[in-house]
Amino acid sequence: MKPQEPIPHNYPMSRLNAIFAISALVLLAVTGGIVFYDYVRGWKWFQMEFMRIQQERIEQELREKNDAETRAKLAALDKEMKERQVQIARHRSDLVAAQKDLDREEGRHYAADQDYRFAKALLDAKRYELESAIVKKSSSRKQKQREFDELSQRVENLNLRLQQVTRERDAARERVDVWLGRIKEVEDRRKELTAEIDLLNRQLFSVSRNRDFFILNAPMLDFVNPTMRVEQVVLNDLFIDMNYMSVPRVDRCQTCHRAIDRPGFESKAEAQRLIEDLRFKLDKNQFTKDKRAEAEERVAELERLLARPEILNPFRTHPKLDTFVGSASPHPMLDYGCTVCHRGQDRATEFSRAGHTPASGRMERRWKKTWFPFFPLPKDYTSRNYGWAANPFLETPMYPRQHYEAGCLKCHSNQVAVNGSDEITRATAMVELYGCHSCHKINNWRFSDLQKVGPTLDGIAEKTTPEWAFRWIANPHAFRSTTRMPAFFYGRNMVGPGVPAEERAQNIRFQDAEIHSIVAYLFSNSSNRQWQGGTGGDATRGKEIVERVGCLACHVDTETVTVDGKTRKALRTDFPLERNFGFNLVGTGTKTHAGWIYNWVKNPKNYDPHAPMPDLRLTDQEASDVTAYLVSLQKPGFMSQPIRPANPAAVRGLAKGYLINTMSTRDAEAKLDSMNLDEQLVYLGQRSIEKYGCYSCHDIKGFESLKPIGTELTIEGSKNPHLFDFGFVHDYEAWDHKHEHIIHTVPSWIYNKVREPRIYDDARTKPYNDKLKMPNFHLTPEEARLITSVVIGLTKERVNDSKLASMDARERLMEEGRKLVSQRNCRGCHVVDGYGRAIAPLIADTNFLPPDLSPQGRRTQSPWLFHFLKDPTVMKIRPWMNVRMPTFHFTDEETNRLVEYFAAAGQSPLFDMTRFNDPPARNVAIGREVYTMLRCAQCHLTTPVDPANPPMPNVADTTSLAPNLSLGRVRLRHDWIADWIRRPDEMIPGTRMPTNFPRSAETGEFTSPLGGAAIDGPGFAASKARLLPLFQNEEELRKTMSDAVALTNYLRDYIWSIGITNMREARPEADAPVMTVPQPPRTPPPTPLQTGEGAPSVSAPAMR
Amino acid sequence: MTLRKFVSMIAGLALIAAVACGGGKEVPDYGDDEDDVIEQPAAGDTAAAAGTPAAAAPAAVANAATVTGLVKFEGAPVQMGSLQMGADPFCASTHQQPVKDEEVVLGPGGELANVLVYVKNAPAAPPNSTPALLDQKGCQYFPHVTAVQVGQPLNIKNSDNTLHNVHAMPETNRQFNEGQPVQGMVSTKKFDKVEMKPFRIKCDVHGWMKSYMAVLPHSWHGVSQANGNFTIANLPPGNYTLVAWHEKFGTQEQQVQVGPNEQKQVSFTFKG
Repeated sequence: MKPQEPIPHNYPMSRLNAIFAISALVLLAVTGGIVFYDYVRGWKWFQMEFMRIQQERIEQELREKNDAETRAKLAALDKEMKERQVQIARHRSDLVAAQKDLDREEGRHYAADQDYRFAKALLDAKRYELESAIVKKSSSRKQKQREFDELSQRVENLNLRLQQVTRERDAARERVDVWLGRIKEVEDRRKELTAEIDLLNRQLFSVSRNRDFFILNAPMLDFVNPTMRVEQVVLNDLFIDMNYMSVPRVDRCQTCHRAIDRPGFESKAEAQRLIEDLRFKLDKNQFTKDKRAEAEERVAELERLLARPEILNPFRTHPKLDTFVGSASPHPMLDYGCTVCHRGQDRATEFSRAGHTPASGRMERRWKKTWFPFFPLPKDYTSRNYGWAANPFLETPMYPRQHYEAGCLKCHSNQVAVNGSDEITRATAMVELYGCHSCHKINNWRFSDLQKVGPTLDGIAEKTTPEWAFRWIANPHAFRSTTRMPAFFYGRNMVGPGVPAEERAQNIRFQDAEIHSIVAYLFSNSSNRQWQGGTGGDATRGKEIVERVGCLACHVDTETVTVDGKTRKALRTDFPLERNFGFNLVGTGTKTHAGWIYNWVKNPKNYDPHAPMPDLRLTDQEASDVTAYLVSLQKPGFMSQPIRPANPAAVRGLAKGYLINTMSTRDAEAKLDSMNLDEQLVYLGQRSIEKYGCYSCHDIKGFESLKPIGTELTIEGSKNPHLFDFGFVHDYEAWDHKHEHIIHTVPSWIYNKVREPRIYDDARTKPYNDKLKMPNFHLTPEEARLITSVVIGLTKERVNDSKLASMDARERLMEEGRKLVSQRNCRGCHVVDGYGRAIAPLIADTNFLPPDLSPQGRRTQSPWLFHFLKDPTVMKIRPWMNVRMPTFHFTDEETNRLVEYFAAAGQSPLFDMTRFNDPPARNVAIGREVYTMLRCAQCHLTTPVDPANPPMPNVADTTSLAPNLSLGRVRLRHDWIADWIRRPDEMIPGTRMPTNFPRSAETGEFTSPLGGAAIDGPGFAASKARLLPLFQNEEELRKTMSDAVALTNYLRDYIWSIGITNMREARPEADAPVMTVPQPPRTPPPTPLQTGEGAPSVSAPAMR
Repeated sequence: MTLRKFVSMIAGLALIAAVACGGGKEVPDYGDDEDDVIEQPAAGDTAAAAGTPAAAAPAAVANAATVTGLVKFEGAPVQMGSLQMGADPFCASTHQQPVKDEEVVLGPGGELANVLVYVKNAPAAPPNSTPALLDQKGCQYFPHVTAVQVGQPLNIKNSDNTLHNVHAMPETNRQFNEGQPVQGMVSTKKFDKVEMKPFRIKCDVHGWMKSYMAVLPHSWHGVSQANGNFTIANLPPGNYTLVAWHEKFGTQEQQVQVGPNEQKQVSFTFKG
């Protein structure tokens, strides 16, 4: 029916319809957009890519497993199956009959079973009725008793019938099973054959993009049970600082880093390392039987990995799974997550937001790149371009990969060694050796009592001349290229190419004046003892002594190295860190004089009671020879470099600049007028030493209580980039002409700061005294990288105590000892905690290497070690050694610290009393015989000797280079001896002591060379005759002879029985100095300096 | 950050497209992740490909050739001193006359013994499970110079009635140091890495005892005898670089081409 009149509308309906339609469409599109935005994330690409990698791998494995042989076997089985089926089909009627029979029997069995059960239930009810009737003494109890007995009888009958029927049923079933079993047996065999393939197929299903994958991960449906999902670890007691509030970390890194805790996706380098490691243990038979098979399987797997294409991040397994991430490691992922070490945004799942930090400018450019200008496409991910941009709101971006180990310091900064092989161990040692901590305060550092890294300057006038000191301060690297003394003057912000000529000339005048003034101050405040002696030595003999007694463990004696056929100036990094501990010997003769050297090498403590150099107990003649050699080490040309005299106007100008801080300009002028140039220089020297912080590294009179001048570094790694002045420079050439690039990250800023400390002054206009003054250490890229790792590892983030390595009493003792080991540079000569012995490459014959101290605590008795450390002359165990254990003049407290450390590190009690126990005579007798049979006497002597002065063996005859065993009882621990005889190579790799009880490859147990028929050999007839009376019967003898542990214990008892039990105590003696009576310091200071050859030059010194 | 959201959204669309298309099938040309250069293919891959023993040599070599040769020494004859075996009476008692140091063993015509000659660039060879023997007899090693194949068992025997210890000092392979106190004892060892430069095997008990051993990926090597002759048999035809090594005079190389069933003659001359 039509409406009578049109309904009135205020709006034109057709337009309204159009608007509605359009907005509905727009809303639909927006809704769709929201769904897409919510659905599509970058991490999904990574998960799919990882699935693809797994898929390829499984498919390859399937191809390998499903080879021709397997297929042939399967075909054979299928054929057999068919045959049997045919056979069964032929006797089909029999089978059907048997089956029918079984069905019927099953029915009967069921019925009988039911009958029995019902009757039994009834019987229980009857029993209750009977019992209650008896209790109530009811009249019907006789009746009830009769009924119960009848029922019991019936149940019994039914039970018998059930058993009968069961037997018949089982017989029928067996008749059927004979037929079916034929097929089932083949089926089982087939299943066994294809078990691995089936497993792989199931795995393949879970990683392939099949129908299930698309449905489970479809938009809107994926809330149910998606296969692609964000993986996370919730860390309830590790917090992340979120602006004024700490929240538990939720690490989602595993969302993309899929294989991080899963072995099998290692990089090739890591796989190679693991193979090496396992092979080593396999070679040494250190596995039991099952473990051995497991290890061999793992090696095979890793070798397959080597043949495959390299796995790249983010799909790699974390390296060193036994230390990090692995569930059995000290840092399992479920407890520590990732970001607590690596930093970064824990909850982020997008590449940039997670806080990834590029390692280099090149990497930064690659990360930023995208094919389409605005966002990354899958194509970009494939070529590892991520559209990266720094996340400016993230306070803790990740450490770039060259500084990964910085993260260790958060928890381990107060520990001496985390692990000898770790970079951070070397880096922290480097920071201490180069003295970063001297100028830059670092709280919570592992040592609070570090000595100053430079020599004392209180006696500089005794040692050298002002002329040398000036040239040295002006350019230390010109004198010794490996020196740790940095260059303070004529830096790139003073005389560099970017500085205008006029300012440059002025800067040079100022710098000259400052050096003159520092030299003047130092020499006017120096003591002035006159050291004598050291004449009449022979330089050739001296050189030989320096090379022989071990000086080169701490000192380097060259300034040139040849690498790959090219000779160049040596760098510190050309030598182990330990050999940079002492100064480079080059130019010693130019720097100082014979009298000082002689007294120094005789006993360094005479010159400086705190000198770190130990006493090598040189005789007077040896010391003279060494002196002659060191005097002969001249640096030609160094002392003829011209020195410009101090410019009075510059001195006055600089001094005035300091004076007017505390007085009016007129008073300052008046004060300066009252001083002559020398006095002005000393005043300016004091101020300049203050300005440059020389006293941070050197003891200087008058600066005893000043604070370090550098920026505090305690939380340097937590500072944001905006707190750093990046200046205007991006690319520059460093002191070694290598190109460097600065990116806008904190690690990059610090790296370039330590590499070229004045770099951020480039293109700046600053007043003279405001210019950057951090000196140039001439750090190589490697050194700068390691030091940067330490600096950015110093953060304000704190970790819950529950997650810190707890240190028990034993570990604290070890830390104390390790500090001393590191401060006295023991690793120059010895292996301690598994690393060190910098001197090793200089000693060709391994018989002459200083001992490996890794097992020291288990090896030696504490009283012996105490006396030996105090005074190494108490016992010469290896009199053929050239390298000398020096006398360190340790205090009793220090010695005890070391002794306790070694005992704790060896997990041994501090004292054991076995030294006083005499072993049983029978054990000694057996031990002596075994000693003869194993021919130990071929190398070892047993005749008692004077421990401090044993006869010198014939060095050419290597047999005599074995310790005298009579020294064992006062020195070695009882338990150690047997253990050492069993496995010398495991205790000290590469030892001369042969392995006489090799481990069996199968069981990993020790085997005996005297086991089996060996005892029946003609050579052992006499021994056997002597041994038999000591055993109950021959069988027992044979058993003992094949028991490595028993034999070594007998040997130990024999060695114990022949040992001396007393030795003299430590009597460390120090050589008295040779010198004239001390004189008062020289004043006025020796200026002007002798300016060397040539006219004073106004041209600037070379920039670097 | 609206742009970022927009960007991620579009990226998402692209991802969907990728899913729908079944994803990028092409294998990405990654560089080594630890090197931020991505243009070059990973070095390890090519090396692995090159190292695959795809063309493993057949067990029995068809048309095998034999290389024989003579090693001579030119220059003033080197006189070697006698070994001083006095430190161990047993060793001294095993020899009627003093034994000459085996560092340089010269024949009357300048023939040089104890030179190891091996093929440097041989095709991959099947593993060898025949044990090699290193005997200690009269306090000397026999042979003085030899080579084993990677993985080949090496039986080390002590034929002396005295203590020997076998201290192998390879650089690439694992060191070992085992005592052999019992006469007739045999220890079996294997080396699992190629080490072409012969390393020293020494006895710490008897300082004069030295032996040199190379670990080759194949068994094509020979050691010159007292008459200076050596033989490398069963060699597949091909172009080879022969390397001759002597403990004092160093290394020499020579190219040879051997045809099927050829009897090739070569000669090396070391100069003093």
